Amino acid sequence: MTDDVTLKRKNLRSAGMAALLVAGMVALGFASAPLYRIFCQVTGFAGTTQRAEAAVIEDGVIGRQITIRFDSNVSRDLPWAFRPERNTETVAIGARDIAFYEAENLSGRAITGTASFNVTPLEAGAYFTKIECFCFTQQTLQPGEHVRMPVTYFVDPAILDDPDIGDVEQITLSYTFYPVDDEAS
Amino acid sequence: MNGDKMRILKTAMLAAGLALASFSVTSPAEAAAAPAPQAELAPAPEAELAPAPGAESATQDAAAAPAEEFEYAVPVEGVGMPDGGIDLPDQVTEVGRQALWFHDALLMPIITVISLFVLALLLWVMARFNRRSNPEPSKTTHNTTLEVIWTLVPVLILVAIAVPSINLLANQYDLPEGESVTVKVTGNQWNWLYEYPDHGNISFVSNMLEEEGEQAEGQPFRTDADGPRLLAADRRLVIPAGTTVRFQITASDVLHSFAVPAFWLKMDAVPGRLNETWVRVDEPGVYFGQCSELCGARHAYMPIAVEVVTPERFAQWVRIQGGSMPGDDTGDEALEVDIEGAEDAPTVEGEVVDQAAVDNS
Amino acid sequence: MTDTAATPAHFEAHHDETHDEADHRPGFFVRWFMSTNHKDIGTLYLLFAIIAGIIGGAISGMMRMELAEPGIQYLQAWSGQEGDAAKHMWNTLITAHGLIMVFFMVMPAMIGGFGNWFVPLMIGAPDMAFPRMNNISFWLLVPAFLLLMGSTQVMGSTGLGSGTGWTVYAPLSTQASGPATDMAIFSLHLAGASSILGAVNFITTIFNMRAPGMTLHKMPLFVWSVLVTAFLLLLALPVLAAAITMLLTDRNFNTTFFDAAGGGDPILYQHLFWFFGHPEVYIMILPGFGMVSQVVATFSKKPVFGYLGMAYAMVAIGVVGFVVWAHHMFTVGLSLNMKLYFTAATMVIAVPTGIKIFSWIATMWGGSMTLKTPMLWALGFIFMFTVGGVTGVVLANGGFDDIVHDTYYVVAHFHYVLSLGAVFGIFCGWYYWFGKMSGKMYNEFLGQVHFWLFFIGVNVLFFPMHFLGLDSMPRRYPDYPDAHAYWNEIATYGYWIMAAGMAVFFVNMLWSLIAGKKAADNYWGEGATTLEWTLSSPPPYHQFNRLPKID
Repeated sequence: MTDDVTLKRKNLRSAGMAALLVAGMVALGFASAPLYRIFCQVTGFAGTTQRAEAAVIEDGVIGRQITIRFDSNVSRDLPWAFRPERNTETVAIGARDIAFYEAENLSGRAITGTASFNVTPLEAGAYFTKIECFCFTQQTLQPGEHVRMPVTYFVDPAILDDPDIGDVEQITLSYTFYPVDDEAS
Repeated sequence: MNGDKMRILKTAMLAAGLALASFSVTSPAEAAAAPAPQAELAPAPEAELAPAPGAESATQDAAAAPAEEFEYAVPVEGVGMPDGGIDLPDQVTEVGRQALWFHDALLMPIITVISLFVLALLLWVMARFNRRSNPEPSKTTHNTTLEVIWTLVPVLILVAIAVPSINLLANQYDLPEGESVTVKVTGNQWNWLYEYPDHGNISFVSNMLEEEGEQAEGQPFRTDADGPRLLAADRRLVIPAGTTVRFQITASDVLHSFAVPAFWLKMDAVPGRLNETWVRVDEPGVYFGQCSELCGARHAYMPIAVEVVTPERFAQWVRIQGGSMPGDDTGDEALEVDIEGAEDAPTVEGEVVDQAAVDNS
Repeated sequence: MTDTAATPAHFEAHHDETHDEADHRPGFFVRWFMSTNHKDIGTLYLLFAIIAGIIGGAISGMMRMELAEPGIQYLQAWSGQEGDAAKHMWNTLITAHGLIMVFFMVMPAMIGGFGNWFVPLMIGAPDMAFPRMNNISFWLLVPAFLLLMGSTQVMGSTGLGSGTGWTVYAPLSTQASGPATDMAIFSLHLAGASSILGAVNFITTIFNMRAPGMTLHKMPLFVWSVLVTAFLLLLALPVLAAAITMLLTDRNFNTTFFDAAGGGDPILYQHLFWFFGHPEVYIMILPGFGMVSQVVATFSKKPVFGYLGMAYAMVAIGVVGFVVWAHHMFTVGLSLNMKLYFTAATMVIAVPTGIKIFSWIATMWGGSMTLKTPMLWALGFIFMFTVGGVTGVVLANGGFDDIVHDTYYVVAHFHYVLSLGAVFGIFCGWYYWFGKMSGKMYNEFLGQVHFWLFFIGVNVLFFPMHFLGLDSMPRRYPDYPDAHAYWNEIATYGYWIMAAGMAVFFVNMLWSLIAGKKAADNYWGEGATTLEWTLSSPPPYHQFNRLPKID
């Protein structure tokens, strides 16, 4: 019966389309991990900071000052001490500044760590720009080694034009240091 | 009262902790928490090993005069804690009162009227259009006017809700300008670590107080002066009234959520990420909250106890903790390093491995 | 076009003819274990859902017993352990209850059970498009359920079982060391695969196998609801599958998709979960909408009011349901603009939902209603879903949500739309079609007793949870401050009333199957106009060998 054959073919085609849809959604699901990271990096979503080669304006031509607070956390799997040298600094918007964190390996073995980071308020992520940061790379500390780790950054003056965040007085930059995989417990 | 006994116990422990010179400011809290199996997980390595110079000197000051003691308030029954009622808790912040008004004066009446309206319609059709009262069913299946009305009226109601809703949200995010106190909150399985970075790095762990007889050997147990069962904590978070308090919230292990219903406050604590929110409480008092994100076996046993005090008493509390107020001359300046000059430790240059290699996908 | 059915007159003549060649049935084992018959598979799904429902319901009974008074009374005894291991059992209970009710009770009953039984009958098709795949769908569910049950007997983190909640949030789920969470995740994989295969089958069947003349705009609303549901399954479940697969690799193969230590983000898991999770709640309620529409029309002896509006309201709910997920995440730390958007988008869903509620009432308006058991469930559904819906509008407000987020207010809300919504829908369909499926009539008196006990029970059980939530009792807590004792005690009484109602239900079913009156072909009379009523009760083993024509 040709009717049966056409129906069968039609059914297989419909099922095939549905299966494609499923495959597409599975792919999208897995792709979401890198896509989400790229999305955060591009838009500053969820307080993700930006990267740049140089500050827009050296020495802060724009007069407004802003307070930057430095926050530090260490994973309990990482026997390091890690803290900002100063809790807060006041900088001119647009001006390049450098801040230091101190880190010390408290264990008797060399350990490599890496830091996750974000800023609050979350909306400030699009404007908080790092030029150089210890968080761009993994850091290895020898037993007992004590280092100062710099972060060079500026606050993009475009922030002043953002109605949601333009009047912010304080931005907090937060880091959490984790051991790099093989050291994880 | 039992409260006094407990306070004496606490003071004794505080003194004992301070007597050990090698202990940092966090030690009393850690000592208090020690018998709890999780205490050693409380992440305060930096305080142990690299204490802020300012904090260190303040500790010694406090050790020299151990007599001063902070009078913690006794919570008022039904204030800042569940009261068994059927409504939202009284609010002690301006934004909280606005939100409470939004619910009590707008949302509740609207949803009550809608529910009763639907119920009335249902009862009416059951009475009027049943088999006996209306044996001949009509064949109406359309009424464009009616359909337009029941699409548009809900839209208008939603707009009426949305306007104050947007206003409320905007106010919740609008941190007042000027002076503020910053408190860092870290959720752990299963206690809270509180730190005051601007007050000489005061930091302590707050654990739930167990009932008498259930507490670990040598540990304080709950009395009514501490608060209700499951809500009372051994160390209260203390914040000043009438001042903006900025909470910076994170977690060390799994998700937690920092919640104080009387402040209309709830913010998740996410490991590897800092969240920020703020409150400005008008009235001194003791307010309780509970962890609000499933975090394991003792999720229900890590309460949040906040004591709001006058700014003067807050300064006193900070001194007793061995901290310092931001204006104080406590050697905080010693912290300032000339960043262009002194290189007492080598700095790290960031070229070793690119972050992309660290990320995985 | 509003006429959702064919004229039955066409078929009266020929249903005898189907008996001769079409009605020979395979032997017991082949019939039930290698079944390719949509009605038999539907029956298997329904039996499965009943068993899962008994287990999930028993777990909620254990939870209500523990919560009846302050302090921990039973957890040590039930778990045979002390301290954290006993407390962990609480988390295992809430996790198992949630997963069982969502994946092994509501979904199998509505989509697998009623969908399989009545979609082919209502569109005039002889069977589903892929009968063998249909069988695989069902039999995937059985090992999935066994895995989930088995997971409660192996180590989780601080005790037996997976204690992550049905949301399986990282990093709690990636931190747990034992195999329990792996088993639970794998169980979700299997259940998800089962549902995806089912969804493909439904879509193909509905698109290609409608009887001649049955255009999409003539399909009964139940078929519409299953079609929309199938698309939601197709789009949402793969994302869950991807998310929980990443959880598994994070747990076992050192990846860090959701671990900040390696550049991942635990919040991403929540985005993925709720991208699935919010459509999932519509997956659970849409077939209920469909069944209630059929029942309301039948018992009012009127066609559904505003048929097209009803159908496209479901489509709209399905579409908007995909862009509102972050309202489940209002407290994770979202920017103001995110909260504003998700507040507004969420509230929009109230509009198509309102259209449905009012259209049901308009269907009854001017009707000639008989208040038989299925109609009681439909009326209960409409009112209870309204109550659950308006608290949903309240929760949609990001500024309000903070205070009740993760409290019993939310628990009350989603039980009003699910336990009093989806479950009412299931009972509505069950009583409506019981005679059609079994050939025996249920007992009307016992059916009404069941309804009233259940209705009163669940309201006493869940309404006080609003008060507990407003009074800030967090969810997923085995113990609470003494101030919450009063309403918790009341809620537990409600559970026992509901349980008594369920006892009546089971007595009714046993009695009906043994001694029930024989069901006529169309026992609801003139109001029941869809194609299944043109067939015998129960329908012949193979139906519509000659396709019906719809004018």
